[in-house]
Amino acid sequence: MFYLLPFHFQPVGEKEILTNDLGDYLIIPRGSVQRIINREISPSEDLYKDLLASFIISETPVPHLLDNMATRLATRKSFLDNFTALHIFVMTLRCNQNCIYCQALSRDSSFKGCDMKESDLMTAVDLMFRSPAKHLTMEFQGGEPTLVSDLIQKGILYAEQKNQSECRQITYVICSNCVNVSNELLEFCRQYNVVFSTSLDGPFYLHNHNRGKIDSYQKVIAGIDKVREALGADKVSALMTTSEDSLRYPREIIDAYRENGFHSVFLRALNPYGLAQDNNNWPAYFDAFVDFYKQALEYILELNKQGEGFVEEFTALILRKILTPFPIGFVDLQTPAGIINNVIVYNYDGYVYASDESRMLAENKDFTFRLGKISDKYEDLFYGRKAQELSRIWATEYIAGCSECAYQSICGADPVRNYSTQGDAYGYRPDSTICRKNKAIIEYIFKLLDERTEEVLPIFMNWISGTR
Amino acid sequence: MRDSFDINSNDNALFTTAMCSNRCLMCCQPPSEKNDIEMLWGKNIKLIDTAPKELPSIGVTGGEPTLLGGRFFELIRHIRITLPNTEVHILSNGRAFSDKQFTRQLGEIGPEKILLGIPLHSDNQLDHDFIAGAKGAYTDTLLGLYNLARWSFDIELRVVLTKLNYQRLPQIAHFIYRNLPFVRYISLMGLEYTGYTIKNAEQVWIDPVDMAEPMCEATLFLASTGLDVSIFNLSQCVLPERIWPFVRKSISDWKNRFEPFCDQCRLKPDCCGLFATSKKQSLNLHPLV
Repeated sequence: MFYLLPFHFQPVGEKEILTNDLGDYLIIPRGSVQRIINREISPSEDLYKDLLASFIISETPVPHLLDNMATRLATRKSFLDNFTALHIFVMTLRCNQNCIYCQALSRDSSFKGCDMKESDLMTAVDLMFRSPAKHLTMEFQGGEPTLVSDLIQKGILYAEQKNQSECRQITYVICSNCVNVSNELLEFCRQYNVVFSTSLDGPFYLHNHNRGKIDSYQKVIAGIDKVREALGADKVSALMTTSEDSLRYPREIIDAYRENGFHSVFLRALNPYGLAQDNNNWPAYFDAFVDFYKQALEYILELNKQGEGFVEEFTALILRKILTPFPIGFVDLQTPAGIINNVIVYNYDGYVYASDESRMLAENKDFTFRLGKISDKYEDLFYGRKAQELSRIWATEYIAGCSECAYQSICGADPVRNYSTQGDAYGYRPDSTICRKNKAIIEYIFKLLDERTEEVLPIFMNWISGTR
Repeated sequence: MRDSFDINSNDNALFTTAMCSNRCLMCCQPPSEKNDIEMLWGKNIKLIDTAPKELPSIGVTGGEPTLLGGRFFELIRHIRITLPNTEVHILSNGRAFSDKQFTRQLGEIGPEKILLGIPLHSDNQLDHDFIAGAKGAYTDTLLGLYNLARWSFDIELRVVLTKLNYQRLPQIAHFIYRNLPFVRYISLMGLEYTGYTIKNAEQVWIDPVDMAEPMCEATLFLASTGLDVSIFNLSQCVLPERIWPFVRKSISDWKNRFEPFCDQCRLKPDCCGLFATSKKQSLNLHPLV
């Protein structure tokens, strides 16, 4: 006789995937869940032992190892301990590029009136230090933040000054297209250990097409080289965005990353914000994206088997949640959601927003996720009415369509995405594109772990070891 | 038992009691029911007092040393004061540490230079309790491991490889990473053919070559997580080459021996050798030339 502990399950083909909140999982023959419910599993079966060891069943009504289970759950949720770690400063909306999928609705570089006020910048740094996080990330975004490099330097110098008594670990990141980074800024970055995050969509024809320019690729690559030379090879990371055109070039995109000295890629789907909102068939796009992802991942696995260590970052994040007992720091896959709990945005317009996407909505005159002014009190911003309202719908544990999902503890909640795509922050899972995409990818990774264990597990473990 | 410690030996241990709270089917030192704590106490204290100050390490073993109760802490504290630079290696089944108050008393002595070697026989209660010959052993040991971790003790998790658990080694490895990622070392240990193993040979003995597959899978998985995994008491000639890097020269010098044909083996200098105390060896031992 045994008792059931809380678990979720999902039938996939001839198998069933069982998961629990602690992070255990089992992939077992279809029909097993029914047998478990009917108490038809006998202690002599290996499955019985698997279920015991995975905390799916218990031989006592209250499991004897409840304390250990609590510790494991607390460990998995420990990303909450430090509260907001990522502080995004949108320094300006001006940009010197003109990307077809621009999510920030950026303005021409000569446009006036969309730079952050210096007084707001200083107050925002003060707010950042109100966060209890031992490790803070101060990330500068735009538009193109290097257009206001004097402001970046002022912000960092002020943070450094405050940190003499605060003693936090601070990572500074500039999100730049790298096309026009001055030597003066680079020297400053070298001095204060600032890293760059840039955008590279793939080979030149694709990158230039996505950018609506004929020479953007050449400029970005030259910029990356310049930053690497000044700061070191590992001080530049790149992000790609998968436009509809990109979907045809999985291998070419990865090869472009390899050729340019990168050892990883983050296969990122379009976000339905800003200009990207005009795309008229999102479900079809996301289905095509999942196919694109699978092809790209297959190619990356092939490279790894040939001895080239190359990582797909989104897969690595999902794998960390599936294979390790530790949490991850990625804001899009958290429950409770990353908004406010892990990330906050101080915008050039003098307001604080719940996330990067929230401030992009504001460019369309939708201020739903505006938490208040930068000059408002910390408590009112981070624990105010808006934050309280969001907290009622920001965890997969208690929103419909997620609460019963087998991938609940692997996926994350995203009220802002729900709102921007479905007009309702609670969201409706049956036709949610993010749900469709994440479910398909998580399921695919489980399938690889189950059917191609010997081949993929050593590669996957290699991707996730050493980084927690 | 000896009456003084040898600084050059890799096996200086205090035998604290022959009593135990488990009845492991492969126990190499079958426990007794007789209360021998008082009888052994004086001798152990004398061994500590006369040990060379620069003794690198000292074992605290049994039986189950925590059965000394309050005297267990007295003993550890005495070692700590008398031999402040000596590493203390406590071999325990960990069950007593399921009691938070008991663990606190060790915690208050402090985790510095203390390593607890604690066996985990399986990922599940049924197998572990069966192998340990005691109901509740699994629960106690796992609660104990967590309580010790709360006090930051270094733990060496020991998995003794038997016919009863080798098939689930991969599951055990995953279980360790998920539930016990805080342990300092993991030791996969070959069986010593002595004590209860002889009596229960039918149930517990398996030739190491017959567990090559699950051994490889478990060892390589644990290594890939970044955990520090070692293979003890097994020689390279009975293991697949893929896991040779994890083999340690582990057998205490006073009970270690080699076969005559081992002289031809190129790996002899790195080999752990054989238990002189074992009444039976793998049938597959052979020199690697």
